[in-house]
Amino acid sequence: MTISEPTLDPHSSRDESTAPARRSFDPERLGLGLLLLAGALLVVVGTGMVTGALATLALALTLGTVVALIGAAVLGGPEVRRKLAPYGLLKPGMLWLALFYLAPLVTLLRNSLSTLPSRFAVKADFDWNFGNYSTAFTDFGGQFQRGFGYAAVATVLTIVLGYPLAYVIAFRGGKYRGLLLGLIIIPFFTSYLIRTIAWQSLLADTGPIPSALNDLGLQPVLNAMGIMDGDKILNTPAAVIGGLTYNFLPFMALPIYVSLEKINLNLVDAAKDLYSGSVRAFFKVIFPLSLPGVFAGTLLTFIPASGDFVNQQYLGNPNTSVIGQSIQNQFLVQNNLPVASAMSFVLMLIITVFVIIYSRFFGTDDLT
Amino acid sequence: MNSQNNDPLARMSLSRRRLLARAGMMGAAGMSLPAILAACGGSSDGASTSSSDTSASGSEAPLGGGGNSLFFENWPEYIDPTEDDLIGTVERFMAASGVEMNYAETYNDNVEYFAKIQPLLGTGKPIDPDIIAPTSWLVGRLISLGWVDKLPIDLVPNAANLRADLQKPAWDPTGEYSLPWQTGFAGIAYNIESTGRELKSTEDLFDPAFSGKIGMLTEMRDTMGLLMLADGVDISTVSTFDAAANAFDRLEAAKNDGQIRRFTGNDYLNDLSTGNFAACVGWSGDVVQLAVENPNIRFVIPEEGGTSWADAMVMPKGAVNRDAAAKWMDFCYDPVQAAQITAEVQYVSPVAGVQAELEKIDPELAVNPLLFPDDATLARTYSFANLDEGVEAEYDARFSAITGA
Repeated sequence: MTISEPTLDPHSSRDESTAPARRSFDPERLGLGLLLLAGALLVVVGTGMVTGALATLALALTLGTVVALIGAAVLGGPEVRRKLAPYGLLKPGMLWLALFYLAPLVTLLRNSLSTLPSRFAVKADFDWNFGNYSTAFTDFGGQFQRGFGYAAVATVLTIVLGYPLAYVIAFRGGKYRGLLLGLIIIPFFTSYLIRTIAWQSLLADTGPIPSALNDLGLQPVLNAMGIMDGDKILNTPAAVIGGLTYNFLPFMALPIYVSLEKINLNLVDAAKDLYSGSVRAFFKVIFPLSLPGVFAGTLLTFIPASGDFVNQQYLGNPNTSVIGQSIQNQFLVQNNLPVASAMSFVLMLIITVFVIIYSRFFGTDDLT
Repeated sequence: MNSQNNDPLARMSLSRRRLLARAGMMGAAGMSLPAILAACGGSSDGASTSSSDTSASGSEAPLGGGGNSLFFENWPEYIDPTEDDLIGTVERFMAASGVEMNYAETYNDNVEYFAKIQPLLGTGKPIDPDIIAPTSWLVGRLISLGWVDKLPIDLVPNAANLRADLQKPAWDPTGEYSLPWQTGFAGIAYNIESTGRELKSTEDLFDPAFSGKIGMLTEMRDTMGLLMLADGVDISTVSTFDAAANAFDRLEAAKNDGQIRRFTGNDYLNDLSTGNFAACVGWSGDVVQLAVENPNIRFVIPEEGGTSWADAMVMPKGAVNRDAAAKWMDFCYDPVQAAQITAEVQYVSPVAGVQAELEKIDPELAVNPLLFPDDATLARTYSFANLDEGVEAEYDARFSAITGA
């Protein structure tokens, strides 16, 4: 994927390679060629397509591309070096991604199209078995829906809670800003698991929160709203969404804080000079300028929340299972690598599509 | 060491603390974070790490006698440790036999452990430990996959002390591959404060009065075992999926209408004592210990029948230290030594003659019916038959579809 978006403009290289055809040696072509070759070799080795002596050969060739690049830079003139520099700088990252991102992704894709010869087989046979994808949809449609549904509601809730929080700290925090930010972050020095399990005690039927709600007479209201189920709040969808909201709140509040904090308050004064009220100034000036923070926070919250299964496992019930949990179960309990891989791929695709649509809608130009 | 053991209160409080540690670890095990757990287990008592090279020559000498070292990977908190002025079984064994033993408490979860060893044993490579103690159904699976070696049973004279009801069990029909480490029962655990009455039948789990307050175990054979026994199915001979169909339908209906609050591992103890569960399927040893602190917690083997399970020592294929393993098994099957383990872990010992020895250490525990069940109790406990691969796959698939994962 890094191949398709190198810093070099494809137009420029095409112009150069077509127009001055008399040139026998094009450093940019050499750089790009060596980069792609090395990446492809590492993917081939990483996915286990070649083993033994062939793999050693491929690794030696990969090393060779590095040597060739350095050699070309040393032997060539300053102009050649200038043109090769971007490829040289891309190379470490490219090789890393090829081995630890692309190769596993290709393996996952292959697995998702494979069939297990027997239940406890170690390796699945690759045979273009698209049936795994239909299994993923038909058997786990509910889990996909709940996974994304809970994540979406939790994301909206983190915006509702996190935006005012970030706003107050950024504009009214004064000298306590650092302290207030610390208070958001400090609980997150504790393990994610421990914090989620702590909510089990707080929400337990005889725990402090349900008894307080009961004493306040809120139970019938919350029952009518569907938040509580009889006398219980633990092991309900509300508890799962609440857990997600709590756990991801800092990932929303902090990016919003950063974008709010950068806003030049003179802009608000200017708006007020132009007879804008506080509310209007907020919606015309501050809110649009803070959108990059909301955008980043949404990605940081929604994506991990969609695949999260910890909150469901500890705060949910068997009727609230989500996709992350099903994938884990297929991998580790059912030993069903192909279906689990297909589910992972579908999850990844849905999230990618979501991110593309979302970034079109909000635009990433302002996101820095 | 006897003076300490003779004080039941001191011992009980000790056990309770250790129990909590175990419950916490098991809870986290469900989270699939074996690394954290390995760290916890590894730092624990009684472990000597001096012989980490046990598997070095595994491939060359698959059935050799091996050196004078031994590696046993067992469940956490499943043996008496060396602490205060007590000397743990591992230390006593090392002193008595001269074997260098590495006892690791890093076996946390049957399913995850299987996933971990599958790529190795499945391709004929040995794994590090000489002995592991999986639960009986996994022992059965390992035997049928051919991933364990026969035990050097002729070098274990004390194996004759194996309880009669555990000889040639369903999971190991010839009795050549496994020796149980500890055993126990699954039945109904309940909090009488929440139920308001004594329970005695599996039907009580479906009482609408307890809607949303019932827990079931994620350990499929224990949960399904109870429900199938309630249907009159003899689980010790069951061989088809159809025999369980009704029980599965019942479980699914109870889950859909909210009767079942959660499927749990060891963390049911917490839900039971806080009152989130009125009743649940639970394990005998846990409840014996919990009841000491909270007398409202009761355990009953339902009148329709309960399941009996065992964690059994096996030697993974290619394990090298066969002589040392034999010495260890022989040592643990000596009733005097086994009683020390039972006093600590409070499960049902597989070794005959432990009761008489335990009387000398802890007379109260020696008459506890959950540690030393009478014949009437034993008569209504059944161990789940060894399912063949295809049938087991059907059971697992249906069960996990219901438990919501």
